Amino acid sequence: MEIVEGETSCAGKKKHKKKDRNRSVFIFFCILPAILFLVIFLYYPIEETFRLSLTKTTGLSKEVFVGTDNYQRLFHDEEFFAGLKHVFSWAFWSIVIQLPLSFFIAFSLTYYSNRFTRPLQAVFFLPNVLPSAITAMLGKFVFAPNYGLIVSLGKVLGWKWLASIDFLGNPNLAFWAIFAIATWAYSGFYVIYLMSRIEQIPRELREAAELDGASMWSYARRIVLPELNYPLRILAVLCTVGSLKLFDLPNMMTTGGPGNATVTLGITLYRHGFINWNYGKAAAIGVVIFVLSLVFTILQFSLGRKKDEAI
Amino acid sequence: MRMRREQSAGRGRSSSRVHYGMSEIIITIVLVVLAVITIFPLVVPLLFAFKTQLEFAYHPWAIPEALRWNNFAEAWKAVRIDQGLLNTLIVCFGSILCTIPSAVLAGYVFARYRSRVTEILFYAILIGYFVPVQMVLVPLYRMEVSLKMNDTLYGLFLPMAAFGIPFWTLIYRSFFKSLPRELAEAASIDGAGHTKTFFRVMLPLAQPATVLAVLQVFMGAWNDYLLSLILLSDQNKFTMQLRVASFLNSYGTDRMPRYAAAVIISALPTLILYLVGHRWIIKGMLSGAIKE
Repeated sequence: MEIVEGETSCAGKKKHKKKDRNRSVFIFFCILPAILFLVIFLYYPIEETFRLSLTKTTGLSKEVFVGTDNYQRLFHDEEFFAGLKHVFSWAFWSIVIQLPLSFFIAFSLTYYSNRFTRPLQAVFFLPNVLPSAITAMLGKFVFAPNYGLIVSLGKVLGWKWLASIDFLGNPNLAFWAIFAIATWAYSGFYVIYLMSRIEQIPRELREAAELDGASMWSYARRIVLPELNYPLRILAVLCTVGSLKLFDLPNMMTTGGPGNATVTLGITLYRHGFINWNYGKAAAIGVVIFVLSLVFTILQFSLGRKKDEAI
Repeated sequence: MRMRREQSAGRGRSSSRVHYGMSEIIITIVLVVLAVITIFPLVVPLLFAFKTQLEFAYHPWAIPEALRWNNFAEAWKAVRIDQGLLNTLIVCFGSILCTIPSAVLAGYVFARYRSRVTEILFYAILIGYFVPVQMVLVPLYRMEVSLKMNDTLYGLFLPMAAFGIPFWTLIYRSFFKSLPRELAEAASIDGAGHTKTFFRVMLPLAQPATVLAVLQVFMGAWNDYLLSLILLSDQNKFTMQLRVASFLNSYGTDRMPRYAAAVIISALPTLILYLVGHRWIIKGMLSGAIKE
C-alpha cells in the first residue's frame, strides 16, 4: 500500500488532491453495500437482541424493562438446562466418535489408495451435501417404528427385539438415533478435510518410515497424528460450535421430544420465541448461544495463531 | 500418491509386498463396507417405493412385483417439490447476487487500500463472522414483520446475504492480497483509474475464488432450513426444504412406500447436482467451509 500512497504524493498538489478524492470515493462505494447489508440485517438485530433480552414482551404487549430477569429465569428453566446438557454431550460424543471414525477413514483412504478405495471419497462425502431436511427425512426413514428401515431389517432377520424398538419415541434412544444420522451426514466433511491435510504430509516421511519397517499403525500414530494435531483441534472446535447451533435435525425428527429428550439450545430458543412468543427469554438464549460460540471461536483463532494457517 | 506406490512396489518386490497386500485387502474391505452402509439409506427407498402397502408389509426386502408409480404421484402431490424448487432457485440466485458483489468489492478494498479507516471497517465486518444466526432470529423476524418483508423471498435472501458477506469478504481479501502488487501498478501506470483497474484487471483474476463462492453460496441457500422456517409462513413461498419439512410433519411413516417415494423425489435434485459437480463441491467445501 505504501507504493500507492507514495505514487500519489509524487504528483503535484492539485492532482494529488483530486486523485485522493477519487480514491476515497472509490473506497466508499466499494464498502458501502457490504456495510449496508450488515447494519440492517446484522448489527441492528444484534443490538435488538441485547435490548430485548432485558425486556419482557410478547410482541403485542408493551416492552417492559426487567433487567436480568430473563437470564435469572433461565437458571430455573428445565428445558434450557436440558438443551445445554444435550448440546455439550453432543459436542463430546462428536469429538469422541465422529472424529476418530473420520480419521480412520481419511487415513486408510490415503494410505491405501487403490482403485477400490479411490472412488469412495465421493461416497463418504455424499451425505454431507444433502440438505438437513432430507437428512431428517432419511433419519425418520431409517428409525421409524413399525415400518422403518432398521425395524424392517429386524423383521426379516427374525429379531423381534429389534423389530419392536421405537427409536425416536424412546427418550433414551432418540438422542442417539439423531446422533447416528448426524454422524452419517457430517463425517464426510471431516473425512475430506483430513484427507486434504494428510496429502500435504511430505512423501519422504512415509518412505522413511517404510524403510525403517514401520507398520501402518505406527506410521499413523507416530507421524500422521502429530502432523494432524492442528486440523484435528480445529475440527473439535467446529464440532463444539456446531452443536451449540444444532437445530435442524432434532427439530424435524423429534421437535425436541419425547419430552425434553432431544431439546437443544436452538430448539429452546425456537420454542420460547416462536411458539410461546416470549421474545425476552428467546433473546436471552440467543445471547447465551452467542457468548458460548464466541468463546469457542476465539479458541479456534488462538489455536490458529500457532501456525500460518490462521485466517 | 499412486505413482509413489507403484515405485515402492517395484523396489521392494518381495516379502514386504505380501504383508502390505494383506492389510491392504482387509482395510479396503472395511472401507467398502463402510461405504455401502453410507449409501444404504439412499438406495433402500428405491426398494420400498414401488410397492403397495400390503406388498411392503409382507415382503419389504423383496424386489418389487411391478414398477408402480402411484406412490410417486401421491408423494409428488404431497411434497410439490416443483413449486418449492422455483422458490429455492430464486433464493439461491438472489443470495448469490447480493453476497458476492458486495464481498468482492469490500474484500478488494480491504486488501489494496489499507488505511486506519478501512482497517476499522474490516474488523467491524469481521464481527459478523462470529454471530450465529440463532442469536438474531427474534429481532430479524420482528423487523421483517414491521417492514412487511416476511413471507417474501427477498426477505429471505437479503439477511442470508448479510450472514454470508463477512466470510466471503475475508476470503476475497486474502485472495487479492495474494495477487502480485505489480499488476495493479502496471494498470495504474497505463492510466487506468481505480474503477477500471478493479473491473478490467482484478475482477477477472478473482475468477477462481468467484467460482467457488458462487457454488458455496448457492449450496448454502439451497440447504437453508432455519431462516426459511422463521421468515416464511405462506405455503406458496415455501422453499424446497420447507416443503420436505412440512411433509415430515403431516405425513407419517406409516405408509412407508409413499414415504420412500417422497424421499426419492426430495433427494433427487441434490443428488443430481452432486453427481454432476462433486469434484467442484468437494473442492469448494475444502477451500471455504473450514473457516466457518
